[in-house]
Amino acid sequence: MAESTIELSHIAKSFGGVPALQDVSITFKAGEVHGLVGENGAGKSTLINIATGVLRPDQGAIRLSGHPITLSDARDATRRGIAVVHQEADLFPQLSIAENMLLARGLVRARTGLIQWPATYRRAAQLMDEVGESFDVRATAGGLSVARRMMAEIAAAVSWDPVVLFLDEPTSALSMNEIRRLFGQIRALSDAGVAIVYVSHRLEEVLEICGRVTVLRDGRLVATQPASELTMDQIVSAMVGRELAQMYAKREVPIRDVRLEVAGATAKDGAFKDVSFSVRAGEIMGMYGFVGAGRSEIGQALFGLRRLSEGKVLVDGKDVSARSPRDAVRSGIAYVPEDRLVQGIFRGQSVRANATVAMLRKLSTLGCIRSRREVALATAVVDEMRVRTSSIEQPIATLSGGNQQKVAFGRWQCTAPKVLILDEPTRGVDIGAKAEIHRLICDLAEKGTAILLISSELPEVMAMSDRVIAVSEGRITATLDPARDGEKAVATAAVPKGTQAEAAAPRSEPKLLKRLLHLRELGLIGFIAVLSVGMTLVAPGKFATVPNFLDILSNAALPAMVAQGAMLIICAGGIDISVGSMLGLVGAMAAMAATAGAPPWLCLLLAVSAGVCLSLINAGTSLLARIHPIIVTLAGISIYRGLMRVVTSNREIMNLPAGYRALADGRVFGIPKICYYVVAVTVLVHLLLRYTLWGRRVLALGNSESAGRQIGLSKARLTLFVFAVSGALVGLAAVLHAGYYGKVQANTGEGMELKAIAAAVIGGTNILGGRGSAPGTLLGAFLVALLYNVLILADISSYWQNLFVGALILGAVVVDVLLNRLRGAGS
Amino acid sequence: MIRRVLAMREAALALVVLALFAVFAFTVEGFADWFNLCEQSRHWIVPGMIAVPMTLIITTAGIDLSVGSMVALCGTVLGLLYRDAQWPIALAAMAAVLVGLSCGTLNGVVSSYLGIPPLVVTLATMALFRGVAMGLSQAEPVTGFPAGFRWLSQGDLFTIQGSGGPVGLPAPLVALVFAVLLGWIVMRRSWMGRYIEFIGDNETAARFAAIDTRLVKCGLYAACGAICGLAAIFHTALFATAKADTAQGLELSVIACVVVGGTRISGGRGTVIGTLFGLLIIGMLGFGLDMAEVDWLGSQHIVIFVGALVIVTAIFNEWMARWKGDHQ
Repeated sequence: MAESTIELSHIAKSFGGVPALQDVSITFKAGEVHGLVGENGAGKSTLINIATGVLRPDQGAIRLSGHPITLSDARDATRRGIAVVHQEADLFPQLSIAENMLLARGLVRARTGLIQWPATYRRAAQLMDEVGESFDVRATAGGLSVARRMMAEIAAAVSWDPVVLFLDEPTSALSMNEIRRLFGQIRALSDAGVAIVYVSHRLEEVLEICGRVTVLRDGRLVATQPASELTMDQIVSAMVGRELAQMYAKREVPIRDVRLEVAGATAKDGAFKDVSFSVRAGEIMGMYGFVGAGRSEIGQALFGLRRLSEGKVLVDGKDVSARSPRDAVRSGIAYVPEDRLVQGIFRGQSVRANATVAMLRKLSTLGCIRSRREVALATAVVDEMRVRTSSIEQPIATLSGGNQQKVAFGRWQCTAPKVLILDEPTRGVDIGAKAEIHRLICDLAEKGTAILLISSELPEVMAMSDRVIAVSEGRITATLDPARDGEKAVATAAVPKGTQAEAAAPRSEPKLLKRLLHLRELGLIGFIAVLSVGMTLVAPGKFATVPNFLDILSNAALPAMVAQGAMLIICAGGIDISVGSMLGLVGAMAAMAATAGAPPWLCLLLAVSAGVCLSLINAGTSLLARIHPIIVTLAGISIYRGLMRVVTSNREIMNLPAGYRALADGRVFGIPKICYYVVAVTVLVHLLLRYTLWGRRVLALGNSESAGRQIGLSKARLTLFVFAVSGALVGLAAVLHAGYYGKVQANTGEGMELKAIAAAVIGGTNILGGRGSAPGTLLGAFLVALLYNVLILADISSYWQNLFVGALILGAVVVDVLLNRLRGAGS
Repeated sequence: MIRRVLAMREAALALVVLALFAVFAFTVEGFADWFNLCEQSRHWIVPGMIAVPMTLIITTAGIDLSVGSMVALCGTVLGLLYRDAQWPIALAAMAAVLVGLSCGTLNGVVSSYLGIPPLVVTLATMALFRGVAMGLSQAEPVTGFPAGFRWLSQGDLFTIQGSGGPVGLPAPLVALVFAVLLGWIVMRRSWMGRYIEFIGDNETAARFAAIDTRLVKCGLYAACGAICGLAAIFHTALFATAKADTAQGLELSVIACVVVGGTRISGGRGTVIGTLFGLLIIGMLGFGLDMAEVDWLGSQHIVIFVGALVIVTAIFNEWMARWKGDHQ
């Protein structure tokens, strides 16, 4: 192995004109642990994303073991041995832990290419053992604690025998014990010749584990030096670029009566427990803790975004336990959120609209905004916050991060709040803006606002706060005086002790019986059985007969086939409501070919290819325009139905040749032929979804697009794939439909999309994507046909049919959502 | 310069409307005829009225596919109450609006408060409401409405004696103008309109800005239902018939007006005036092509055209927005 493993030279990258990295050159050597430090926004994440193929550099080159490479996506990087463990690991919540660990590369497959689940689970369990963890790898990943998620990711990354391993803030949620274990792992790996890049805010850890350290500041490389030659102070001053004393300009202001009092607050979702503290007017209370400690959750609960199960919140002695953000604002509490882009600003709107949102109703008379008053307020906010913008009408997206943050802050500052909660107010802003935000915080304190400053930047908390609360594992572990107690005491109090991880440990392996009960398929079979028995008792002569049973089967068959395709599309996070019209159009074309003398196999081929083409047009259009497939396929309903009328000149197609009809009509061993087709399709789709990489990737995409991007899944390719499969099934169903019924009419296939979607959601497909089952869908289709049959036997007019399809879809989806909520609350 | 013009979507649309009118007026005989246009405009009232709340809903990045079924259900209820329950027509009409309001509220509550995507909810209720209408009426049309009721859609205001017979302004236009005006005020002048845009732009940020996003969205679907109830009155009066299988595919024409009018399907920005122009374009296209009697494009194939137009303009809107975003 070459001495230098991965070499980045002259890398530059900017986002929307704002440079994130400029001319950065680093070499990560084999067998070395390389520390990468810098403030938030210094460019560490961008660097990692470039080195791991998630982003492409604007300039510069990457060499791996001496060879220049271009990384096309994350999967490409993984293939070349570049592994990464992300800070806030994005995962696929509805997939098992084992699959989350191994999906990118390590699913065990037989020679046939099919996934071998028992071996995969064994492998995952073994990997967990190696990092000293043991828990049920079959459980879904959604319920994992942050620490365990991190350990699972590390275990997975190690398993690929990487050449380079990036660890992004791996210890931020770990307890002391876990950190020790992790360090042992890291040393073993680096002894084995792996290049490790260790990114962390915790400088003591960096100095302990790393051989060399690189400091980034404002997108530039400041220095790369051996760790043995560095001290903490040197690193800090290299990171911030000036002495700390100049950084934070805290003004002493008089502190008056208690404004905010929190007593025994406990979150309903368990994010924090028994939190009590008080903040006085003019006081800045710092809140420090690691990722996942519950800091933001406390702030959001005070603002009414999360529910409290116990405890009280008092402002000026009045009970204001806020039930909604509006209540909170009315009682004088304001909250500036942590994630500016996601929670803070409206990207498509002007600075003016963003600045005045909190006061909009006060600026209005009779519901109408008084525009002169709005302009005046927006101007005042921009002036006071010193937002650098050419005019208040400028779109906020064109401002720098720091100026956007000032607008998000100013939006609340102008409501003159009694209590202001600031969640990471200086994350990702430049140093100049940071100083101004600190000045504004002091200004507000001076006016008598009680301020809760949540931050994960220890120097900021220490310098700005009058008192500091340390939070760990959802509890307050200490209330300290920064001047007297010092940094070390605060940092120590915030370190997790690992108690929560034990509490949240996944349950032991569930009993077989319990696992079976969780299977939707068995529930469906049970329901079908109960309904059948009931009907047999009520109407034995009419219901429990062989002809009636066969009738139900053949009514269920074709919707079930279309439903398998619909299920796949829904699993990937899409929907296609044009399949009914498509079936009509394709069926008409195939039938016309048949009457014109084409042999049956040619008709079938024609229909399947036509179905694939139409379906690909749907998918392609929605991908190309980046609009939801619903709008394309809604138009498709009319377009395909209209085309069908053009093609057939509005005539029924009858008198199909016998050879064509024989494809579908008739029985084998007393059971209608079409049932065999459907069973075959179900088996194939089941194999595809459960045992092939493509199927698992489709589910992963439906689970989380962003996590998918991190492991290099191509949304376009997977979407086209599921639509193509669905189109092929529609084509097949169209031919069988014509063959079975012997004709194609103007309304052939109408309502098929509803039956298909109903079958899929009843069968346990999550309408939001990421979960689905082929056998479940088959049972769902059977249940729909059975219910129709029951309605007919009960002499209920067929005009009510639509009501039942609609109610079935709605009911299944609502039940699914409620069940998920229940499960979520239970774990 | 080009950017400035394109930014004024409404102005561009107005030009398209004028151009389209000119083309049809010169090429199609009987198009530029006051009487014909007035008669034709009566058919635009229902999609036009519903397009107003639909604009607001699409601005929040939502959608309502059940509008056609709601119109059918409300009309059916109106007809049945009038004929079978012998209710006075005014009371039956009010009941229709109430039914619409309840249907819309169902859409709103299930989609906003249970967090199920509105396209799924309204796809299901599209079938559900239609099923209720079909079941209640057993697919039998109700006729025999009084003349006063029919006047709502068929009557004229300000009739004057023209050269070729009496000429007037169709009475239901008043309702359309009123709906558009109200929608325009809400969208452009009120805080509610701003909230709607915020929700479409970034729903999480809207919640963090203390906006009760669920209530706003739920209210929009409820209002859409109520307006479908109102529209059902005009729809029934126009055809003097209440039928359960009427207004099929109405959702597509309504969404077409909104999308052609320049409202982005992914939310964040909406324009009611644009939607009005969208209605004029779709209406004129339908009428003009119908009058032209193009051989290969029979009247029933207009839907192909409308469908294609929706897709093309939806793509155009998205690309336009992205292109503008890149050039700021």
